[in-house]
Amino acid sequence: MKPLKYLYDWIDVRIGARDIVEKELTGYLLPRNINVWYSMGSILLVIFSLQVLTGILLLIHFVPDADKAFTSVSNITNNVPFGWLIHTCHAVGSNMMVLVLLLHMLSVLFMGSYKRPRELNWLTGFTLFTLVQGICLTGYLLPWSQLSFWATTVATNSVNAIPVVGSFLVEFLRGGKLVGPATLGRFFALHVAVIPVAIAALVGAHLFLLQRTGVSTPPFGIKDSSNPWKGDTYRYEEHPGGIPFFPNYMLDDLRSISIYLACFLGVVFFAPHVFFPATAFLPANPYLTPAHIKPEWYFLANYQTLKIFPSEIIGLAIQGAAMTFLALLPFIDRGAEKHPLKRPVFMVCAIGGLLLWIGLTIWGHYS
Amino acid sequence: MGALLMIFRSRTGQSRIFKGVLSGLLLTVFLPILPSLALAQEQQEIVCIQCHSGLEEKYSQPVKLWRSSIHAVNGIACNACHGGDPKDMANAMNPARGFLGVPGEKDIPAFCGRCHVGVTKDYLSSAHGLALGKGGPTCVTCHGSHLVRKVSLELISEKYCTQCHNFERAKLIKDAMLETELLIVAIDGRIEGFKNQGTDTGKLEQSLFAVRNRFHTLFHDVDVEKVKKESTQINGELKKIDNVLQGLDDARRKRKIAGACAVAGALLAGLLFHLLRKTYA
Amino acid sequence: MENDGRRNFLGICLGGLATLAAAAVSFPVFRYLAPRSSKVTNGKVTILEKDMPEGEAKFFEFAGSSAVLVRKRGGELTALSAVCTHLGCIVQWEKDKQDFLCPCHAGRFTPEGVVISGPPPKALTKIPFVVTNGTITVG
Repeated sequence: MKPLKYLYDWIDVRIGARDIVEKELTGYLLPRNINVWYSMGSILLVIFSLQVLTGILLLIHFVPDADKAFTSVSNITNNVPFGWLIHTCHAVGSNMMVLVLLLHMLSVLFMGSYKRPRELNWLTGFTLFTLVQGICLTGYLLPWSQLSFWATTVATNSVNAIPVVGSFLVEFLRGGKLVGPATLGRFFALHVAVIPVAIAALVGAHLFLLQRTGVSTPPFGIKDSSNPWKGDTYRYEEHPGGIPFFPNYMLDDLRSISIYLACFLGVVFFAPHVFFPATAFLPANPYLTPAHIKPEWYFLANYQTLKIFPSEIIGLAIQGAAMTFLALLPFIDRGAEKHPLKRPVFMVCAIGGLLLWIGLTIWGHYS
Repeated sequence: MGALLMIFRSRTGQSRIFKGVLSGLLLTVFLPILPSLALAQEQQEIVCIQCHSGLEEKYSQPVKLWRSSIHAVNGIACNACHGGDPKDMANAMNPARGFLGVPGEKDIPAFCGRCHVGVTKDYLSSAHGLALGKGGPTCVTCHGSHLVRKVSLELISEKYCTQCHNFERAKLIKDAMLETELLIVAIDGRIEGFKNQGTDTGKLEQSLFAVRNRFHTLFHDVDVEKVKKESTQINGELKKIDNVLQGLDDARRKRKIAGACAVAGALLAGLLFHLLRKTYA
Repeated sequence: MENDGRRNFLGICLGGLATLAAAAVSFPVFRYLAPRSSKVTNGKVTILEKDMPEGEAKFFEFAGSSAVLVRKRGGELTALSAVCTHLGCIVQWEKDKQDFLCPCHAGRFTPEGVVISGPPPKALTKIPFVVTNGTITVG
């Protein structure tokens, strides 16, 4: 342990490492009634890092050319040693990212953490959510399989419903009249360069906001003596007598991450095919639409909404309205109360909305 | 949701403006990437099908039958056999564009034989082929014309054979072929399973196709001795394919074991972190 | 102090587990990135030149698959994979027409393996060979 201590001292003398540790780790106190839902953010960071790592590895063998994309992916999963593992981790990881992100957002919703002074955390978080949907959508096309080709055709087609500019937008999105090599080029650029950088930057902003405002107090159990927001001036929400982040809550985080990894690896090794129908393994054929083409599970509700309404523009407008409403929730729901049981109107709307989403998803799956 | 909006009215004019600006901004940002989906457009049909589908039973039946044939699955449409121009309604059935129409009974083997050359040759030299035009069976007697299916041994049945002669001789051939046929069907199913899970089975499919084809031409000879002789060799080929599949199965099993270790490791780490956390209660 | 002992023990366990995990991650990543050794197939086939008269083709097994050596009228030799690129049947040599015919769906190839007609999507693969002292060595 001697050389380690020496190294630590050496760094400390130069950059004041002990100060940072004292302020941000051991002296960073969290509310005493903090719960497991506060770990979702850490899990998401791990997932995003894994996606970046596996993504870079896939990039080594992937060829973003409409003639070669499918064979290059097939080569990764069949011939490159452990390519199947890295490919499966990336594909399953993307689904897990959406799932955990939804859980993260639900916990923030039900614990009222989006309320002032954390409107900006919610806005950055919500934008991250749409970016994650975007990265999933663009990544879906890259293997150039029947599934990816037709799911992208159907997804981009819906933009047609926007009045006046709709058809232009569709063409602009696809880089041509139909999904084709041009679409692959731009989706590839979005997927590996634009959106990941945007996500990383927004994650930075999200964490910065968290660090400036302080961790929210869960509305359950004991009242934490903190420095609540009054709206007069900037104040950091402190939790005196709280749990130190290091080592206590970090161990909680690591436990949650380990359990997540166990679930993730379980899917990767034992049930990877829940995310891959047989059409995922047929090369894209623009002249043959496969039967029962369905979007990924997290887009099923949107898909079904569009199908219910007789005119697509209404379906699209309703989705736009719902998304905007959710994005602006902290500015609409302005009460100070955070305990879910003391917010009956919110609870009815939230549970109703959630059930509606689940219902539409199931309906979309079986329709 | 409307109720919520009314209860949590914005308090100041300022925030109302902010809200308006922001919602406008967000709408423009989110709408293009809104993952909403619509139904895909139908594929444009060739003119043969467009016209024939609407005609009376006699002329529309072939379209209906063809739709569930192996030809349809592989994209072999009307014009592949009947010629003509599938893109030009006016000249679709113009003999100048190669339109052939319905072949006469004697011309059927040559009609199918333009693509299926190997089997046609075998057929023509068999007892079946020698009786062509003298009451003997043509291709369509057993295979049908428009509803052509992937062949299995089921085709050798009382239903088809007793149209012309008794079933005994045919049964001898069927029995001789049964073992190999079952092997082919089983291997085919396993390849399909692997393919649906992303294994690159192109080579295996090709090998099996070639073996199956070689095996099925045997039948067109209608010669029991030849079937028995060739079956041994064909079984050897099938064994090769089976070995590859066995290798794939083994790899899968190993992956599952590794996966179980990985999951157990992650759970163990979770438990250890939990115990360590408890020492800091 | 009881906690200290426990922490030490758990710390060592976790350290060991982390090492294992690091190894379990590094190994696949290393294998994924490692250059792949090009397969050395030493399965060479030799055929005597005098066994190859003009206009004839000779089929043989090569690298676990079927191959064919053909001498065109005029004396030129070519070695090709005999597996049809359409669905994998073995092509036949049509001596009278001097081309290859696939019996399954009537694909036709020139003696150089180029598609003449029918469904095959691409030419038959060429196989390298050398001729020394009247012996043809394929592979």
